[in-house]
Amino acid sequence: MNPAIHLENVSFAYQDTPVLKKVTINIRPGDFVGIIGPNGGGKTTLLKLILGFLKPLSGKIEVFGMQPQFARQKLGYVPQIARFDRQFPISVYELVLSGRLSFLPWYGYYGKADKLAALEALEMMGLSRLKDKAFGTLSGGQAQRALIARALVSDPELLILDEPTASVDSQAEADIYAILKKLSGKKTILMVTHDLKAAINEVQQVICVQQEAISLSPHEVCEHFAFGLYHKPLL
Amino acid sequence: MSFFEALLNNPLLVSALIAGIASSFVSGIIGSYVVVKRIVFIGGSISHSVLGGIGLALWLERAKGVLWMSPLYGALFAAVLSALVIGWFHLYHRQREDSAIAALWSIGMAMGVLFIAQTPGFNVELTNFLIGNILWVSHTDLYILLALDIAVILIVLCMHKRFLAICFDEEHALLQGLSVNALYLLLLLLTAISIVLLIQVVGIILVMTMLTIPAAISNLYTVRLSSMMVIAIGLSMLFCVGGTAAAYHLDWPGGATIALLAGLAYVVSLLVRIPSRS
Repeated sequence: MNPAIHLENVSFAYQDTPVLKKVTINIRPGDFVGIIGPNGGGKTTLLKLILGFLKPLSGKIEVFGMQPQFARQKLGYVPQIARFDRQFPISVYELVLSGRLSFLPWYGYYGKADKLAALEALEMMGLSRLKDKAFGTLSGGQAQRALIARALVSDPELLILDEPTASVDSQAEADIYAILKKLSGKKTILMVTHDLKAAINEVQQVICVQQEAISLSPHEVCEHFAFGLYHKPLL
Repeated sequence: MSFFEALLNNPLLVSALIAGIASSFVSGIIGSYVVVKRIVFIGGSISHSVLGGIGLALWLERAKGVLWMSPLYGALFAAVLSALVIGWFHLYHRQREDSAIAALWSIGMAMGVLFIAQTPGFNVELTNFLIGNILWVSHTDLYILLALDIAVILIVLCMHKRFLAICFDEEHALLQGLSVNALYLLLLLLTAISIVLLIQVVGIILVMTMLTIPAAISNLYTVRLSSMMVIAIGLSMLFCVGGTAAAYHLDWPGGATIALLAGLAYVVSLLVRIPSRS
């Protein structure tokens, strides 16, 4: 089977600072993959390369066999909630509906199918009651689920999440993992996380990024730490 | 004579009110984008650089005998040019964007002052452009302003969802296949045109009032950008009509009275709103 994401000898640098060196990764369709690594290790850069926001200095990136910028229709991206302006006047429903922007006709009004899809995504995330609230008034966990709903509303094949549990409490964290577990198998999921426990318990494959990238299975992560096989502290 | 009687007898006052109400639409709509996108400083730069265009137009008209020229054309030309220059800096030289915005701000004003200095018999009118005097708006100008007003509203009706997307989350808009850069430029152009409309009412120095205060007040009370716009339009009309009426009775300058009224309303709404939030 063709890989969902394929990176071959990918290198990237900001000005003269190398961030990624000769990274080779293969991710199968339907896998739930965790990306771990120290701050500044290149996790976010790796995501931006896969999303097509950055171009590699050398090497090849393919997402579903295409160059990343052409595969965007198949991607759902869930950014960190800390990035957003809490005073921005946008309702939860509007936010989720904006996940259907690529279906928007020239005259700029969403159709019935779009609205239905948005309501379904809200229902699935347990946010139906909050749909008319301002996005900025949601709790961390609710806001994160709203962003997941926005990503899912266009029915993507690949879901990319940037630290979805970074600013939420433990109950919300459990909710988010339950949702992702339900989706795994149906969708390819790529999740950056600081949460080592999640990396071991929730995902099928772990990629450690620290300039270079190594793929591990979850139980190998434990051994890595237990035996200190890794040359620098990983987290 | 009361303000309403004066309206019946004074066609100039009527056109002043029409211009004020028409510009309230762009003030509320474009002002809301400007506030949530945090490009207030860009608005300031465009509005001040407009003086360069006004100065050039007056100089051409009065010193060089180009009779069809009017300050409105000069203002539009300068506003659009400034928007394009700022857009270009935003897209290609983002590190020094704010310095470029400030430079454009002062270069435009400097050119305006120099052109006006070269234009005979003008000194009195300079204040009209700086602090606004809606009474100098000609009939042709009024038609052009109304046409621009309608054009801005129509474009926004079609593009609102996309503008909302680039204001809230540019990365996501890009992933959804929107031409984020083109939309940003379009938004700047609409801002430039709106600024020219608003300058007719309150003048260059006070235009930031109308672009930010109605939107900033309504931002305190809404959860949706579209309702923020509707409230801001209403507030803007209130300030224009109320300010013009007060100015008439007190014999104060119109633009400054409108701006002061808006400013007071903002202070009051902050005092009412902020403590209840914390």
